[in-house]
Amino acid sequence: MTDWIVDPLRHTFMQHAFIAILLVGIICGVTGTFVTLRGLAFMGDALSHAIFPGVVIAYVLGGNFLIGALVAAVVVSLGIGLISQSSRLTNDTAIGVLFAGGFALGIALISSQRSYVKDLSTFLLGSILGVSREDLFLTGAIGAVVLGVIAYFRRELTIVAFDRTFAQATGINLWAFDQLFLILLSLAIVISLQTVGNILVLAMLVTPAATARLLTDRLQVMMILSATIGAVSGVVGLYLSYHLSIASGASVVLVATGVFALVFLFAPKTGIVTVAIARRLHFPHPERDIFPTEDPVAVAKADSSRVADGAASKQQDQPLHTG
Amino acid sequence: MDGAVISQPVMNNEARLVVEGLGVHFADRSALEGISVSFGAGESVSLLGPNGAGKSTLLKVIAGVLPATHGSVRLAGRPIDGTNPAVVYVPQRSSVDWTFPVSVLDVVLMARAQRRSRFGPFRGEDRERALAALDQVGMRPFAPVQIGQLSGGQQQRVFLARALLQDGDVYLLDEPFTGVDVPTQELVVSLFDQLRRTGRTIIYATHDLAQAAKSSDRIFLLNRRLIASGPPSETMTAANLRAAFGGQAIVPLDGGMFGMGEAP
Repeated sequence: MTDWIVDPLRHTFMQHAFIAILLVGIICGVTGTFVTLRGLAFMGDALSHAIFPGVVIAYVLGGNFLIGALVAAVVVSLGIGLISQSSRLTNDTAIGVLFAGGFALGIALISSQRSYVKDLSTFLLGSILGVSREDLFLTGAIGAVVLGVIAYFRRELTIVAFDRTFAQATGINLWAFDQLFLILLSLAIVISLQTVGNILVLAMLVTPAATARLLTDRLQVMMILSATIGAVSGVVGLYLSYHLSIASGASVVLVATGVFALVFLFAPKTGIVTVAIARRLHFPHPERDIFPTEDPVAVAKADSSRVADGAASKQQDQPLHTG
Repeated sequence: MDGAVISQPVMNNEARLVVEGLGVHFADRSALEGISVSFGAGESVSLLGPNGAGKSTLLKVIAGVLPATHGSVRLAGRPIDGTNPAVVYVPQRSSVDWTFPVSVLDVVLMARAQRRSRFGPFRGEDRERALAALDQVGMRPFAPVQIGQLSGGQQQRVFLARALLQDGDVYLLDEPFTGVDVPTQELVVSLFDQLRRTGRTIIYATHDLAQAAKSSDRIFLLNRRLIASGPPSETMTAANLRAAFGGQAIVPLDGGMFGMGEAP
């Protein structure tokens, strides 16, 4: 067992890989909290794909991949804002158009390179074993910026995520904070590209945060849990990857998914198995199983109030571009 | 219940809030046209009209959340362009994600978020004031509860506590009586009285005629244009209601409650 743990740490490239995945787990865990709470999973996926041509252009030109990715992210997020101003198209349609288009552009650009297949798989799946010292410093610096900005604007980011009209009414610039968050999200994605790759980065943003949400009703606790789950999944995933010789990105994401599944089933208050067992312990009557589990009166009430809510929200007068 | 949270009254007899020639156009339709009204200190006004009449739109323009296409809004003589801390806006309950992982106290403290240092947590003073506001709406025991656990009425109370903590001069409320229980409705009415007594202006949207007649000094009947404005007894005539609600005028003319227009 000790060997199992210590053996990989003898290699410098594995030490780098562990530090990198720890940083990515923490940064994506915190950023991902807002992604899941705002329902921006699709946006995160889109950004990671849309960043792709930026990274490729930077790579082809021999420039810094980070700058290329950031430029692409800003262009895409502004583009999404622009397209969704059209009263006939929804936000996720705009995301869909730009993300597929951007990804195609990236593939077109990279296919003109000679080492096409190898480059492509590096971009898409990551190459965690090639993380250099400089990469680590860069990741750490960007991560510190992302976490620092989130801490600095934590109240605004929370209000914008929770109650957009109130945010606006108290003078918070929604557009500016939306763009700021998209840039933070892009940064988190960019530093994850090398470790987990373009395709699987979404899992680092969504899965640990979703797991944390099942475990707590408090935002700050959720962030800490999400970062912890991300980091632990990363480390465990890397060990499995090393010992079982499977792709590191996939291994990390599978561990995170496994943790999610465990929590979903067995979390103290919300797990579906836990709740079922608790119910049984509480009402140990054999007959109870033939009764519906929910009180029909309460269900009917809830339904009627939902109808009332629907009617109320229908008559909101929103200009189409803020909706 | 004394006004622990609400600061001293600001009374004057002039119109505090003046809306002039206001029009709002969306991409494909006009929502409001030629609205000119004024609101005094210590006055409670209900905006009454059918769905799509522009009640929420008018509130949002006054709150500075929506830009007006033409016309102006002046607060204490000065044009307001954008948001103003003296104007407190209470959104519809349905506009918020109630599964969000924040507690009742967290939501109320959002009222102070802009006024506090970015570093470090809220101060004890903020917490005490937030708890006092929760006390005023009878929700203090719920301070640590996650907001998803609350009933519709309780959610409305939390919004009201947050609004009280914002401590403005003008309170704008979008459908504060919709989907809430009777005790909460009564609480809202008594809070309105309290706010009025301390010189606050209250403007709220509703489509409940009975509630509007009961708890406002003046009624603005609205259907994209201003149809009538004045005390409930003068505004709620059959002709006005028909003009505002159109085919929907069947609504609550029963029981002779608003029959005063027919034969005075």
